Amino acid sequence: MAQDSFMASEINKSFGALSVLMGVSLSIKPGETLGLLGPNGAGKTTFINIVAGYEKQDSGTISINGVNLDGMKPDARARAGVARTFQSGRLFAQLTVAENIALGALGLGASHNEAQERAKNTIDVLGLNSLATAPAATLSHGNARLVGLARAVAAEPKYLIMDEPAAGLNESEVPKLLNALKVIKDRLGCGMFLVEHNVGLVAKACDRVIVLATGILIFDGAPKDALNDAQVKNAYLGDAAFGEMI
Amino acid sequence: MQAVLDAISLGGTYALAALGLGLVFGVLKLVNFAHAELITIAAYIMVITNDLPLVVSFLIAALSATALAVLTELTVYRRLRGTGPAIMLIASFGLSVGLQKSFELIFGALPRSAAVAPWMTGSIEMANLNITIASLVTVGLTIFILLAMGYLVDYTTLGLQLRAASADFKTARLLGVRSNRLITSSFAISGVLAAFVGFIVVVENPQVEPMFGLNITILALVGIVIGGISSLRGCALGGFIVGFILSVLNTYLGNARVYAYSYLFMAVVIILLVRPGGILSKGNEMERV
Repeated sequence: MAQDSFMASEINKSFGALSVLMGVSLSIKPGETLGLLGPNGAGKTTFINIVAGYEKQDSGTISINGVNLDGMKPDARARAGVARTFQSGRLFAQLTVAENIALGALGLGASHNEAQERAKNTIDVLGLNSLATAPAATLSHGNARLVGLARAVAAEPKYLIMDEPAAGLNESEVPKLLNALKVIKDRLGCGMFLVEHNVGLVAKACDRVIVLATGILIFDGAPKDALNDAQVKNAYLGDAAFGEMI
Repeated sequence: MQAVLDAISLGGTYALAALGLGLVFGVLKLVNFAHAELITIAAYIMVITNDLPLVVSFLIAALSATALAVLTELTVYRRLRGTGPAIMLIASFGLSVGLQKSFELIFGALPRSAAVAPWMTGSIEMANLNITIASLVTVGLTIFILLAMGYLVDYTTLGLQLRAASADFKTARLLGVRSNRLITSSFAISGVLAAFVGFIVVVENPQVEPMFGLNITILALVGIVIGGISSLRGCALGGFIVGFILSVLNTYLGNARVYAYSYLFMAVVIILLVRPGGILSKGNEMERV
C-alpha cells in the first residue's frame, strides 16, 4: 500500500460483550472519496470516532502517510490532518459564518490573516457569500450543514470525515451538498470519508464504497458494484430500486 | 456631575473585575473565587512599591497578579480539570482562603497602607464643577481597557478562540484549538485586569488587608450573572450595572446607605426575573444550532 494514504489496519472494538468492529481494514488515497455504508448498528459511527480519536480501538492501528495516529487525542489528530464534520453541526451559535469557518483554519495553526483568507476562499467556493456575516444561530439546517462542511474544509485537511452530512436535508438541499463535495474534491484534493445513509448521494459522490454489517467489512469496491452485490443487498439495501437511488 | 462620574467610575471598575472572572468562566466554566486575591496581591504590591515611579510600581503589581493567576492555573486548576464543576468550585474557595492566609502571614493581619498616586486624590475645576482626578483617571482608564479588550476579543485570533471556547469548549478543542494555551492565556489576562482593578481601588482606599479584593469580586460575580455569564460583553455590562447602581444608591440614600446592598440585590432579582439568563443571554440561539 502506498505510504501517502490513510490506513486503518485490523481495527477491533468491543463494548463489553458486544463486538462492534471486527478486523476492519481499509485505506483511502489522497483525492479519493470513500463512502461508508451500513445499517444502524453496523459500527460506522464507532469507526469514524476511532479515526478521529474520540474513541480508542481495542487493537489495530490508524495511520496517515505512515505516521501512526494511535494514542493521539482528537485535537492532535486534527493538527495531523484529520478534519471531521458533526451530525449535530456543532457550530458556534453567536459567531458569524465567516468566524466559524475561520476557526477551522485557526485551530490547525493558520495565522490570523491566513485563516481569514481561507475562510473567504471557502465561502466563495461553496457559494456562501450571502451568509458570511450572519450569526450561525440564524442558519437553516441545510446551510448549517454546509457551513460545518466549510469549516472542516478551511482546515485544509489531508483527510476529511463527513458524518451523515445529508441527514435532515430536504430534496433541494442534497444537490447543493453534492455540488459542494465535488467542488471540495476538485479544489482541495483531499481524501474524503463519507458516512451516509443516502445511497444515491454516496453513489454519485464516491469513487469507492465500503459496506459494514455487524462490525464486519462485507464489501469494498465501486459504488455500482455495491448496489448489485448480493451480500450488500442482503445486509443493507434489501430490494430497493437501485436505479432510482442513482 | 461628580456623582455621575463616580457611578461610571465604580461601574467601570466592577466591569473590569467581572470581565476577568468572565474570561476564566468562559473557557473553564469555573467561578474563580481566587480572583479576589489577584486584586489583593496587586494592591499590596502597589502599596509596598509606593516609593517607585507609578508606572514601575504598577508593572510589578501586574506581573505579580498575572504570575499568581497563571500559577494557580498550572498548580491547582489544571490538575483538577475534568473532576467536575463542584470540585473545581470548592478548590477555588480553598485557594482563595489559602491565599488570604498566606497574605496574612507575609504582610500581616493589619492593613498595610500608603498613598498610591496621591496626585489622583486632588480635584480639578471643569465647567464650574469640582471633579476628582481619580474619577477622571478611572473612567479614562476603564474606557481604554474595555476598548482594548473589545479589540482583543473581536479582532484577534486569541479573541475568536476565546469566544468559541466560551460558547462550546469541547468543539473548539476538537477543531484543534490548543486548550492549555487558551486557558493559561485567560488566566494571564484576568491577572492583568485584576491588577488594574487593584490599582483603581487602592488609590481610593489605600488600606490593604488580606480580604481587600473579596467584596468587589463577590459583587462582580453578581454582575456576571445579571449581565449574562455566557457572554464577555454581558459580564462587563453586568459588572458595570452593579457598580453604577451601588454608587448611585450610596450617593442618594444618605444615612440610609446601609440598605444600599438590599436595594441592589432587589434590582438584581428583578433583572433576573425579567431576563433569567442575564441581560445579554442568547439561550434560544444556542439551542437552535
